Amino acid sequence: MFLQIAIVILLAPFIQGVIKKTKARMQNRIGPSIWQPYYDVIKFMKKDAVLSHHSSWLSIVTPYIVFVSIVTAGLFIPTYTVNNDWNFIGDVILVVYLFGVARFFTALTALDAGGSFGGMGSSREMALSAIAEPALLLALFAVCLSSGTMKLSDLVVSLLHNGWDWFTPSYGLAFFAMLIVVIAETGRIPVDNPDTHLELTMVHEGMLLEYSGRYLGLMMWAAQIKQLLLLSLFIHLFFPWGIAASGDASQIILSFLLYVAKLVALSMLLAFIETMYAKIRLFKVPKLLGSSMILSLMAILLRVFE
Amino acid sequence: MEKTIKQWLSRMKQQLGNKVRSMEQNGAQETVMLVEKTELPDVCYFLWHEKKGRLFTMVGNDERDIHGFFALYYVFSFDSFRHFITVKTLIDPLDPTFPSVSVQLPAANWYEREVKDLLGLRPQGHPDPRPLILHGDWPEDLHPLRKDFPLDRHAPRVQSRESFMPYDSEDVTEIPVGPIHAGIIEPGHFRFGAVGDTILHLDARLFFTHRGLEKANEGMPLEKALFLAERICGVCALSHSTAFAQAAERLGGVTIPPRAAYLRTLFLELERLYNHIGDVGNICAGFGFAVGVSQGARLKETLQQLNERVAGHRYLRGIIRLGGIRIDITEREKEDIVRTLSYVKKEFQELVDLLFSHDIAMNRMATTGVLSLEHANQLEVVGVAARASGRSVDIRRDQPYAAYDQVSFHVPVYEVGDVLSRVRIRVDEVLESIAIIEQLMHSLPSGDTFTPLPPLPPYRSAMGWCESPRGETVHWLMVGPDQTVYRYRVRSATYSNWPAVPLAVKGNIVPDFPLINKSFELCYACCDR
Repeated sequence: MFLQIAIVILLAPFIQGVIKKTKARMQNRIGPSIWQPYYDVIKFMKKDAVLSHHSSWLSIVTPYIVFVSIVTAGLFIPTYTVNNDWNFIGDVILVVYLFGVARFFTALTALDAGGSFGGMGSSREMALSAIAEPALLLALFAVCLSSGTMKLSDLVVSLLHNGWDWFTPSYGLAFFAMLIVVIAETGRIPVDNPDTHLELTMVHEGMLLEYSGRYLGLMMWAAQIKQLLLLSLFIHLFFPWGIAASGDASQIILSFLLYVAKLVALSMLLAFIETMYAKIRLFKVPKLLGSSMILSLMAILLRVFE
Repeated sequence: MEKTIKQWLSRMKQQLGNKVRSMEQNGAQETVMLVEKTELPDVCYFLWHEKKGRLFTMVGNDERDIHGFFALYYVFSFDSFRHFITVKTLIDPLDPTFPSVSVQLPAANWYEREVKDLLGLRPQGHPDPRPLILHGDWPEDLHPLRKDFPLDRHAPRVQSRESFMPYDSEDVTEIPVGPIHAGIIEPGHFRFGAVGDTILHLDARLFFTHRGLEKANEGMPLEKALFLAERICGVCALSHSTAFAQAAERLGGVTIPPRAAYLRTLFLELERLYNHIGDVGNICAGFGFAVGVSQGARLKETLQQLNERVAGHRYLRGIIRLGGIRIDITEREKEDIVRTLSYVKKEFQELVDLLFSHDIAMNRMATTGVLSLEHANQLEVVGVAARASGRSVDIRRDQPYAAYDQVSFHVPVYEVGDVLSRVRIRVDEVLESIAIIEQLMHSLPSGDTFTPLPPLPPYRSAMGWCESPRGETVHWLMVGPDQTVYRYRVRSATYSNWPAVPLAVKGNIVPDFPLINKSFELCYACCDR
């Protein structure tokens, strides 16, 4: 269990680094080293935080709440092994709502200092998540329906044994539905632009503008962990092969290496999508997420009638 | 032509009757009408509305030590006659007021507020009497451009009189943005009144870094003043220095040698190229299209390195000299220019194809930030923004300078007035600029690059103008008896175009504002002179 937490926390900046490096190379830039997100986190952790005079206790506790709830969600998502001591406590729905808790506090605290960009960011985030959350749940349901369990480790085991048929239409539909949700939830183009300096266009970054020092570090780190978890979820739902089902040491090492390789490949895909697309108009985002919901619904229907 | 202009002027004199006290020539291209200040709005409206003159610039001047009065000059450009008419009026220092022209002629808005701030001449009946150049915390009775205001005077700060559009409804959210922004850009404060994410109204508060360059220039020898003019703005440095040099040359009645004129044209087009290509790239940042941003930046860098190789300066500073040009180019440099430009042309074409075939990019640019032709005409918008809204003004064609009458080029005009049209104008102009440079390279005449300037006549005014990458820039210059600057007024393209931005963003959504703003590509330094 502690190994699981350590891996989730320590691997997250690496994935961020891989995405940034890939994007830079695809845009004809050299870009910062893939270890840069680690340096950033270390730098922020060393720094003192400056708080607005107008902010309340919320601004201080939110980074911890967000960080803890996302790391907790990490306990329920299989990474390199399906064996997980915490299985009995929670399932997919708990994961989604742990993310929900983090989102709630982030959006609430963005209003705390009274800055205009925080308010704008949180109103946009809440409006979008009202659609993104059901879209994520629906996409998960579409997969869960096949194995009849909501527990992620059981789900992965059942997927391992029965497998997805690559040519099942419901597989393809659920795959694309989930991909859209992963992009939206990680705040990437075409939904949000993580690299922008234009305050007026920000969604997730807009809510972080008032943070500084270690609080900012925690919030950024939490966002990177959330990104890693969503990618892991995506990997295990659609490409579960190779994950260690037993406690055999050699199998675990192999499974871990395979897991990292799949993560890197998927982050490169995300970087590729981000480079190929531009940010769509804010009011078109609900339509994009809506299409993800429709895809999931269709996947569910196909499953039911098969 | 001469004859038609004479007929046209005498007919105009008849129509205006006794409203005009006197009419005299000032140089070959300018006629000055002296009017009583009470007649000012009528005469200006007649020239603008009936005769279709464009308000070119407006200058207020403290001429109390010459003849005891303040003077106002409203300059109108008549492009079809290639002639200017200046409406001049004298204002008694004991009654420093004048009837505002802005009510009928909206484009005069900023000019009249500026005269009020800097010279203390109050436009009466002005629809928006808020301070403009000097902010609300500057004492109301201190006017820095008056001659009795010493350059080193320190003004105390007072209780601020700044105000913004008040909103009665609770549904309207006020979103203050700036003056300090997250990116490294110049200061400007924007206050949106938004309903949800839709913009109802925008107040733009600019002039945060007013430098008093016009005041600083007064009393400076002309060579030094040229140096200062070049530093008004980083990215249109050459346009400003050329406009200043042309004003001085026109005052001295000097024609620069053909080779100098051709070389000026060459460098002005190189300036336009690196600006337009960089801008097309930057606009891509408005919708997060990172490939466009980095390719634009790369091509801009290629062009700036060419500038450095050929002219010795990446931003083309220090190459203009009063009466000509400081540098010359060799055959090898000519080859370098041709080679680099053919490379840039190919690469830029690729970038443009990529951009225009990108669905999301096209969707973001089309129908965003529409500036209507009517608004563009009323506010006398210039440059790229004007031509994208169907207003065909280009001072290179309309009042040619340097060697622009020796080359043939097409002035692109689009009708829609959205972000996409402004991008298309830039793309077309890049290709036109490259074509102009090719023509110049083929027919570059040999000879001198410099004609010395004679002593300039004191207390006479002259203008120099230049189509900078952002639009026409006008410098108005009056020289004192000791060959130093007496009054210098810079009207940049940005100054004309800023008032149009709030009209273009109305009804768009807040996250589209950066994109719209970038498509106008207005420069703060050109305003904060």
